[in-house]
Amino acid sequence: MKRVWALLLLFTLALAQTPTGEPPPDLSPEVFRIASELRCPVCQGESAAESNAGVSQEMRRQIAEMLKEGKSEEAIKQYFVERYGEWILYAPPKRGINWLLWLAPAIGLLVFGFGLWRYLAEARRREAELALSEEEIRALERRLEEE
Amino acid sequence: MTPGLLGNVALVLGFVFTALGLVLSAVAWWAKDARYVEAAKRAAVFSFLAALLAFAALEWALLTDDFSIAYTAKNHSTKSPTWVKFATLWAALEGSILLWATFQALYTLFAARRLRDYWMAPAVLGTLFGVQLFFFAVMLFVANPFTPVPNPPTEGPGPNPLLQNHWMMAVHPVLMYLGFVGISVPFAYAVAAMLARRYQSWVAETRWWTLVAFGFLTAAIFAGGWWSYEVLGWGGYWAWDPVENASFIPWLLLVAFLHTALVQERRGMFKTWNFAYVTLAFAATVFGTFLTRSGVIQSVHAFVEGAVGPVFLGFLLAVLFVGFSLLSRVASEVRDVGGLNLVSREGLLLGASLVFATMAFVVVLGTLFPLIVEAATGDKVSVGSPFFDSVFAPLGTVLLLLMGAGPLFPWGRLDAYAARALSVMLSALALSMALSLFLGATFGVALGVGLFAYNLVAVFAQAGRGVAAWRKKARGVLAAVFAYLTRARRQVGAQLVHFGVALAALAIVFSQAYRVDAQKTLEVGERAVVAGVPLTLHRLDARDEGFRYAVIAEVEVPGVGRMYPRLHYYPTMNSPLAAPSVHYGLYNDDYLILQAFDTEQGRWATLRLVRTPMVLWLWIAGGIILFGVFYIVFPGFALRRRESAEVAA
Repeated sequence: MKRVWALLLLFTLALAQTPTGEPPPDLSPEVFRIASELRCPVCQGESAAESNAGVSQEMRRQIAEMLKEGKSEEAIKQYFVERYGEWILYAPPKRGINWLLWLAPAIGLLVFGFGLWRYLAEARRREAELALSEEEIRALERRLEEE
Repeated sequence: MTPGLLGNVALVLGFVFTALGLVLSAVAWWAKDARYVEAAKRAAVFSFLAALLAFAALEWALLTDDFSIAYTAKNHSTKSPTWVKFATLWAALEGSILLWATFQALYTLFAARRLRDYWMAPAVLGTLFGVQLFFFAVMLFVANPFTPVPNPPTEGPGPNPLLQNHWMMAVHPVLMYLGFVGISVPFAYAVAAMLARRYQSWVAETRWWTLVAFGFLTAAIFAGGWWSYEVLGWGGYWAWDPVENASFIPWLLLVAFLHTALVQERRGMFKTWNFAYVTLAFAATVFGTFLTRSGVIQSVHAFVEGAVGPVFLGFLLAVLFVGFSLLSRVASEVRDVGGLNLVSREGLLLGASLVFATMAFVVVLGTLFPLIVEAATGDKVSVGSPFFDSVFAPLGTVLLLLMGAGPLFPWGRLDAYAARALSVMLSALALSMALSLFLGATFGVALGVGLFAYNLVAVFAQAGRGVAAWRKKARGVLAAVFAYLTRARRQVGAQLVHFGVALAALAIVFSQAYRVDAQKTLEVGERAVVAGVPLTLHRLDARDEGFRYAVIAEVEVPGVGRMYPRLHYYPTMNSPLAAPSVHYGLYNDDYLILQAFDTEQGRWATLRLVRTPMVLWLWIAGGIILFGVFYIVFPGFALRRRESAEVAA
């Protein structure tokens, strides 16, 4: 047992991922909720709540601290935006070119809806064009009877 | 004979037989001679056997620890358990292309056996052989798994530890490829139909194939969600990661196609739309592969391999070019005619496919948006779950409303039965929403509950209507119910799928709204409350498991018992990988993660507890959806066998 621990200690020391000895801080659900809307700066597509990279753990610790200081969610996010830029936010702020993204569902519905409406109007118009008038039907029936 | 040699021979044979199949299909098409179709069908058999041989060669190398080829040298380790060795074949780029090619050959073979229409057959086979040729060519010229290694190592790094952590990893990619490749068959039928100018019948002929692809893709998405839940160690099942999105886009387009296809089958309209949907769904599978394999987008799933990216991009452009040049010809030739009353089943089907197409558009734009913004302004932005969640909530609401009503409405109009049922459904929606709000639920949760009640009533109303129709023919109510369940398989299966979707939506709403996630450090022997749950840390243990070290915490959770979250140390990874311990419950899942521990004396451990309601129901919902698909798809075999038996008699 001792030997395994010693091995593991060597192993973790070699990795030197987090300073040993100091346990990570206790974190409330609120911390994880806020962290889930922030990007882990060194990961590939993970949020600061999901990732266990050193930076993410540090971010969660900072969020916990700022919450203790009584800072609002907005202020905490602002703090990270100032440090890393808006790239850190998983929901881009609603302004400028980002409106294109936020309005995408509306744009999609409008464009597809317009296409659908035009298609249906066209199909209906053709049906009306092709439809035979009463006189034509009678004329055709007469010809059928004659033949 | 070495695995490397056998593999290379098999690849060359596969390439030659595929090319031969393509040539024979082309000759059959131009000469209008069905004998060449029969020959092409044989080429399909041989190309499949060659692919199988290449597959076997790579498994041979993996299972016998043969490091003389590049793939094993880069991705294999003698220390892995046998199932990991077997699954290593699809754990990295070259092998996963081999798996893809093997499945493509399998689908080509099955599609060839089921071809009925000799006018379309050459083009169907030709398209499938063309796609298959691409994959064999990629393996031969760009990403050959059998490239020899001059000085073979005696040990390799093994596959990505994330993939070794759970058996689901052996299953999820296989299902995903079966789904992706499955879309190539409806696509091939669509291309053939457009070439042969048989614009109407193909939608009905490909329904079975579309459902098979849809079933595998759905299974793959659920399996992926489950894998990410059990392995990634944050207690979530879907992160809107670019690669997850890449699998979701073809799924959405396929579903949009399934719904408009019904309108075409019934009314002969939307011929161009259906062709566009199938082409886009197939292109989306290639697009997804391009995203994953090119390193364009960062993701946990990505294998970054430069050379393959441009090749897949080229293939994607080729698919889109073929698709859209045919589409423009069809659009100039086909003039759909007909007035459509939108307050009818077809109206609601069109509404649904409108929303699905919009969802696909949103996912594509959201996934590519960071690239677009960077190209346009140089700024960096991120698009993730907070955006997708808030946008999908309203779209999903519309979809759930349409889903309940659609199957109740008759074709062409709204009748009294549907109107009455709709009023009951809407009352159920309003009542259960009011009750949920009264009980303190948020608006979103109340809406989720209301929509579930609405769809639950819809299922019963629909079943009532179905049984009533059979009562005229069957004796007694029970006989009518039995007849409805066994004879109206398409309706019953569709209802099962719809019910599964409603249940999944409810589970998603609850698990998103009421998830609690907290972290605390406990001394060994200490009892403390984490996220409202009193936990006791009993022991901390370390174990040498050969291919990895494991540190295991023993934690007592009241009402659950002992749970054992672990941290795994793999030699190839520079940080430990958490293996969470999950306890599934009908109300809540308890999810324990060992975040950190005292490396010096083993006296304390940091635990993270995620308590999420209703996650189990999401997996159950997935099972119901798959059962529904199976219920529709399965008689396909039985009926056809009976049909061919009758023909033979």
